[in-house]
This record gives sequence, structure tokens and C-alpha cells, in this order.
Amino acid sequence: MEKYRQSVSRSEPGCVVILLDRSDSMKLAWGRTGASLAEGAALAVNNILLDMCIKATTEVNAPVRHYFDVGIFSYGARLTDPGEGVESAFGGALAGRGLVPLPELAEHPVAVREEPSIDVMPVSARMPVWVDPVHGYRTPMCQAIAVAGAHVFDWAAAHPDSFPPIVVNITDGMVTDSPYDGATLEDWVRRLTSIETNDGATLFFNVFLSPFEVTEIVFPSDPTGLPAPGPDLFALSSPLPPPMVDNARVDGYDVRPGARGLAFNVGRSTLLRVLQIGTRVPDRAR
Amino acid sequence: MLHTRQVVFYAPKRGNADAEWEDGAAAAPAQAGRGPRFAVADGATQGFGSARWAQQLVAGFVGDQGAPPDLAVDALHHWASDVQERWRDDPRLSGATDLQRLKQATVGSFATFLGCELRDLTGPRPRWAAVALGDAVLFHVREHRVVAQFPRIAPEEFGSNPDGVPTGAAALAELIGRARFADGDLADGDLLYLATDAFAQWVTVADRRDPRALWSTLAGLDHPEAFRGLVRGRRAAGEMVNDDVTLMRVRLERSPATHLVVCL
Repeated sequence: MEKYRQSVSRSEPGCVVILLDRSDSMKLAWGRTGASLAEGAALAVNNILLDMCIKATTEVNAPVRHYFDVGIFSYGARLTDPGEGVESAFGGALAGRGLVPLPELAEHPVAVREEPSIDVMPVSARMPVWVDPVHGYRTPMCQAIAVAGAHVFDWAAAHPDSFPPIVVNITDGMVTDSPYDGATLEDWVRRLTSIETNDGATLFFNVFLSPFEVTEIVFPSDPTGLPAPGPDLFALSSPLPPPMVDNARVDGYDVRPGARGLAFNVGRSTLLRVLQIGTRVPDRAR
Repeated sequence: MLHTRQVVFYAPKRGNADAEWEDGAAAAPAQAGRGPRFAVADGATQGFGSARWAQQLVAGFVGDQGAPPDLAVDALHHWASDVQERWRDDPRLSGATDLQRLKQATVGSFATFLGCELRDLTGPRPRWAAVALGDAVLFHVREHRVVAQFPRIAPEEFGSNPDGVPTGAAALAELIGRARFADGDLADGDLLYLATDAFAQWVTVADRRDPRALWSTLAGLDHPEAFRGLVRGRRAAGEMVNDDVTLMRVRLERSPATHLVVCL
């Protein structure tokens, strides 16, 4: 039976986990936007969460539908217990929570405030905020995958017929904690992607941010020509399953056979588009 | 003279409640100057207010909400503009949250649509005339064989057709301009089936495999649970996409109905 075909519904919700790099280098300016990498990444994450809430909003007098369970785990600087480590990036009523059902997420942003456009446009809009920009310390990516993996494992066991979990790692740097707990980054990713539902294995996508205006590489089918750490990230990234290949092609990307869920040296608007492509699961909607 | 007897079967996506079914179906008897009308619509899952939109389209087409449109592009455009206004000005929206207002304004909704009118049922040449936008399909069946399929869509083409009726005014003229029209002659004993995409797609495959079995089964559906059992089975077998499904069956016969069936 073909994998990665399950559509989301309330009885078979999806699971999206974002791993958010909050290491020190995220303080660098992101291109000409005037904002830091951390600010741009937080804005993109808030946008994608709003996107998901909007998609699950279907009618007046009806709650946001429980189509997804969502987790945001940050690694690098911690907010709750200052220092280096991994924690849930949610604040306010959701502080410390792992995976949160979408209706609850929609109910509990930490703030609703004026935010700049994701593109470099002279506009802004009032929008809910779930994640704030933070940066500091090194890049404990292995630990982040370990923490997220525990939540993903429990979720997949409880949702055997759902579309498999999608884990998106947003980073600008090199892992600093491999090996962690006796296992390398490759080992941790292998453990994560061995977690399956009946519809397929957990997907692990990587988005590598760049402070410089260099050529973006999105969904490559070959590691050739990728500067370091591109080839390593390519090897770690899951192949894009057919529905996401379709999403990417609809968005205008030239996706070749064997394309991986990797975006390299991306700018701000590309980050949001990649998140949208990587979190859109099969649907009959036009 | 031909009489009509129609029944609508439907099922929401597996995992959803009946109230979450986002298709629409409506029928109305002949009224002054026109014959009986039938319509189905399939609201976009990711839209806002899609069930209302689909229902308003089918109700409007059969004449339950003001004058129904003629089957012509200009008339359909004028009519759809009116339905859009009613959808946007729905008094229920006064209780909308910020998220709901945002989605209504930025996304809105969209529905595939299939409308059919039967003409000259008392005359020498009874026939159907239909309009389609998208991949809801009419199957005209006679003695367990498809006489006409409208629109003609191959199994692998379902889900890729972008046509339908939007709630946004900007795209309406272009989309209505893509409406397709067809008609066909009717005879005593004929059956018309109007189906939304997931069910229609399965029908097109099953018709190639064993048409007699398919059309005997569909002609014999006599209870909503029988239909839902069929849908459950085909979904479980991986033959039918897990989507809202709707099937309207219209039977044409010289003898009028002698009894009313109520399913409990």
C-alpha cells in the first residue's frame, strides 16, 4: 500500500514538530531585513502556526478543528531555566508543554501584536505570537532530536493510522553535542525516522538559514555542490514524499526525483514557503 | 409522461461527524416554466463556511432561494454573484472570532458544482440538461450501462480539475466562464446519478471492472446504512478516497410513485 497518503481528520490528526535553533549565532542579521536570524525564524514559526490554525478554522460558531498536534522545541539558550539546553518553546498557558492540540494552541498565543510582514514589505499586521526570538550558547541539536523523539514516539503509538509525524529542524549552525548520550547525530536521526505509523516513517526535514545573501538551494536531489554542512544535512533529510513533491511543484519549485526535505541558505520568505510545503499533508481540497 | 423519484445518500469523511459533511445536495419539483431540478456540490475542505457555501449553491440552483438561474453562462454568473453576497452577509457571521473573520476574508470557500434540469417530461422527447463546474459527475444509466457520463473524467483525472464556484468575487467571471454544458434523451426506466468526486471516481473504476454489478448495487440501495456500508468497505479496501461523499439517484418511470419510503 502506498505510504504518505493519509489525509488529516479529527480522528486521524497529523503531528508537526519544529526544532528551533536558539544558539548564539542566531543573533546575526538576516540579509537586509534589519532583523536577526532569531527574529526571522520566530516570525516564520508564528506564521506557520497561524496558517495551521486558519486551515483548521472551518465555520463560525465552531472551534478550530483538532487536525494537528504541534510541538516547538528550542535548543541553545533556555528561557525557563537559564543556560544551555532543550525546552518547549511555548510560553504562557502552554509553557513547558510538549505536543499541544491545535485548538488549544489557537486559544493560547502568548500575545497578539503588530508584526512586520514576512517579506521585506512596508506593511505589518496584528497576529498571534506563540514563540519569541531568543539566542545564546551552543547548538545541542542531538538533545533536541532526543527530546522531540520521545514525544513523537508516544504520539505515533497513539495514532497508528495517521500521516506520520513531520519534524522540521530550523538551524543556522553546526551541531555541538554529537555524540550525545553515546549516539551521534546520525544515530539520533535514524532513531527518530524509524518511528512509524501505518502510513509511513517519521519525516525529518532541515532548513539551514544563512545571514548572507547567497544562492538558495531548495529540495535538492543530489548533495553535489552543497557547501558544508550541506552534504551532511542532505544525508540526514528525508526524501520528500509524493504529496509534498506535489506541494512544492505547485509552489513553482523544480523538484527532481530523489529530492530531499532540505532547504539550504534560505532567506525569510523562503523559510515560510518551505514550512508551508513541509507541513501540508494530503487533502482533497482544491 | 415520466415521473421522477429521487433519493440522496451521503457520508462524511471517515473520522468526521455528520455535521462536518461539506457537500450539498438539493432537489425540487417542476415549477412554472421549468422541469424538476437536482444539484450536488462539494465544498472545499480547507475553505471557510464550505458546508454553507455548498448548500447555498444547490438550494439556489433548484429554486429554494429566489429565482433559479437558466443554464447559460451569463445567467449563472448573475445568480452566483447573488449567492456570494448572501454567503458573505450571513447573519451568523456576527459571532465570528478574529481567526474566522480572517479566514473568511483571505481564504473564503470554493465548491465544485453539478446542476441538472429535466425537460419535456410530459412531451415527446424527455431529456436532461446539465451544467458542471469541476469534478462532480452525472451518470446516465440505462439497463445497467452508462449511456452518458458528464463531465467525462477518467479515474486518474479526479482531484486535479481546478474548476468550481468560488466565494471571492474576483475570480467568479473567469470560473463561471469555464462551465460545461451537456444534455441527453431520457427513457422510461432510466436512472441518473449525481455524485461528488470521491464517489464518482470510484464509480468510473468500478464501471470498467463490472458494470452490471456496480449499477445493480447502486440501483438497489434502499437505506442510508446500506450506502454507508458500501462506502466504508470501499474505503477500507483502498478503492475510495477518504472524502465527503454524496450520491443522488433519480429514477424515471412512467408510473407515479405509489408509496413514500421513510428510513429510520
